[in-house]
Amino acid sequence: MKSKATTVSGGLLKRRIASALCTAGPIIFALGLLAIPASTVLADGKDGTFPSAEQVGGEVFIQPMAVGTKMPTDIEIYDSQAKKADFGSLVAGKPTLVVFFISAVPVSVAQLKKTEEFVDKYGHGTNVVFVNADTMGTHLMGGPAQAIPSTAATMRLIKKEHNLKRDMYVAPNDVLSPKGVSTRLGIRGLPTSFLLSANGTIEKVFVGPQDWKKGDI
Amino acid sequence: MSISRRQFIQGSLAAGMAGAAGVLGSGNAMAARHDPINEAQADFFKKFDRNVVLLPSKYGGYVQALDLAVPETLAWYNYGLAGVNMPIPHHIAALPSADPYKGFDFYQTMQPPGTPYVNENSPEWRDRGDFKMFKMRYDGSGKQNHIEVVSDIGVTTGMSLGVHASIGVGENANKYVAFADGQKDMVLITTIDDNPKIVKAFRADYDPVKRQLHISHIFPDATTGKFDYVGRKGMKTTHEAMLGEELMPADPTAVFVDAFTWHPTLPFGAILIRRLGCCAIVDTRTWEVVALLSTAKGAPENFPLTRQQGFTWTFTVPSVLTPLHEAGFITSGEYFCACNNVLQNNIAIYRATDENPLKWKKEAFVEGFGDKYLPLHMGNVPDSRFAYFTMWARKPNNGYICKVDTKTWKVVAKWDTGPDPHTCDCSVDGKYMTTVYSGNQGGQSGLVILNVETDKIEARIAVPGGMHDHVVVPESWEGMKFSRSTSV
Repeated sequence: MKSKATTVSGGLLKRRIASALCTAGPIIFALGLLAIPASTVLADGKDGTFPSAEQVGGEVFIQPMAVGTKMPTDIEIYDSQAKKADFGSLVAGKPTLVVFFISAVPVSVAQLKKTEEFVDKYGHGTNVVFVNADTMGTHLMGGPAQAIPSTAATMRLIKKEHNLKRDMYVAPNDVLSPKGVSTRLGIRGLPTSFLLSANGTIEKVFVGPQDWKKGDI
Repeated sequence: MSISRRQFIQGSLAAGMAGAAGVLGSGNAMAARHDPINEAQADFFKKFDRNVVLLPSKYGGYVQALDLAVPETLAWYNYGLAGVNMPIPHHIAALPSADPYKGFDFYQTMQPPGTPYVNENSPEWRDRGDFKMFKMRYDGSGKQNHIEVVSDIGVTTGMSLGVHASIGVGENANKYVAFADGQKDMVLITTIDDNPKIVKAFRADYDPVKRQLHISHIFPDATTGKFDYVGRKGMKTTHEAMLGEELMPADPTAVFVDAFTWHPTLPFGAILIRRLGCCAIVDTRTWEVVALLSTAKGAPENFPLTRQQGFTWTFTVPSVLTPLHEAGFITSGEYFCACNNVLQNNIAIYRATDENPLKWKKEAFVEGFGDKYLPLHMGNVPDSRFAYFTMWARKPNNGYICKVDTKTWKVVAKWDTGPDPHTCDCSVDGKYMTTVYSGNQGGQSGLVILNVETDKIEARIAVPGGMHDHVVVPESWEGMKFSRSTSV
């Protein structure tokens, strides 16, 4: 069943996102994060500190990284065998659609196959990278050391069950840290997809599940 | 008259046991409630007479009824007996009983196991557990106490929700119980009888593009009279947002509905919406949404209604300065307290006496909690002199319980009761505040009893099982106002 937001998140959503991304807010926020001095006490999950609003964008619903900015290439990721991978090399030198999702959000998982079929049909060879922006719970099942292997196993399962061709990656995410991938990229709703140019510049942002159509990428 | 061999043996055993009990002098060993006379702790614990505490063990999968005055477990029930594989008893609320030792009814919700504890999408876990709302009954009238399932409300209504259960009070006393769930963003109100009837249901959805919140009445199928939201159906996320995890990326429509709390004197209730830092006030005479309180410091008192179309109320929420978690009314109904957390760790205090909730205004904030402690749960006392709040913390910090003076809205006492503290609930006489800690579902765990007048920790009782909630069975509908009803 499609949710209401699914209904509104097609073309209308994209136009609104594009409009929103024209504002300077996200750029200022991104620059602000870069400007945080190394000595600043940040919420890092180690001493139990929660972030101040300013450290994570000023409010709950922040905007995704803006069109025209460069996607960071130092995002920590692991492949579906739980081995460390290089995000930069995955997106370098080719137009790429990076799809952030998490296995805990069914609508974001359901979007993977649709995206793959769309890109295969209308993507003109666009590279696709699926990134699970989270690690799943292991507190009672081996602790933090199991987080990446357990999540990677779930990625393999999703790939098999949804009959996907592309590999999937895991990006550990501390939602309470300014350095966390969701805060850095401004992700609050999943899936969120970024269309990158060959040089890594964000050309389009798609928030929420998409009814993909020719010309979207 | 003849007597069979079996009757003879039974009679002999009974006589023998009676004799043994007389020799030991400590009551009948088969009594449904132990008499601790002559035991070392008897004089100390008798002050807790008439307090029966229900303690659901989240990852233990059971609930126990604890008689504080002995103390002993009167009865316990493992929800695996109801057919749930890896049950996670979550939140709980009890209907009033004039004699809780003899019997009482209570509601238990449960949710599937999930993050952060296990990977709910792994093959090992994804089919285990379930969303459930059970009406349960404790029977202490016979020789063997027991707890049993009265009804599976999810099956009866077609909607299974796994978070807070709260029972109507004031104008809604002896009528309704509410259930809520932040994985489905739904609220269900039913009658409290053994075969519950659907009264009203709500669903909340966020439109991240228009920045609008839609709150809708949802209706059961006209032919079946039921919803189609049993089990995992309707789930937006496969696990509930962990405490303080409101910033987590989720389904774009997700708002993390948490509970429905009841006004003790006016015909209102509040739908708590964690991710939007808002509380939707509902008129319980019509079930219309009449206000959307925006509880953050620096936010307006409420967000105005943008439009109402049929049974959907749409509010524009231009910005969310902080999420909240729990919120509720103090016993008198004079104030509504909202626990803003993560980005603002404070408690917003609205005066809630006006019959028009659009006129409810923030009169104070309880502040000074720093950046490691989140206001979470709220516990009431009968005379409303104080409100107790759980200040939850992430590892390596324990968190603590604090007592707030409702005249000054200042913290007047606090206790580090143990790691991972959860709910506070008052004894039936109002003299003690009980609170539980769960050791993050694997470590230290217990029940702590605070003296409301002296602030002394009166007792600490070992209770295994990582309680995420608990409730003292109230004695009356007036007592229900400081139980799991007005606040959660």
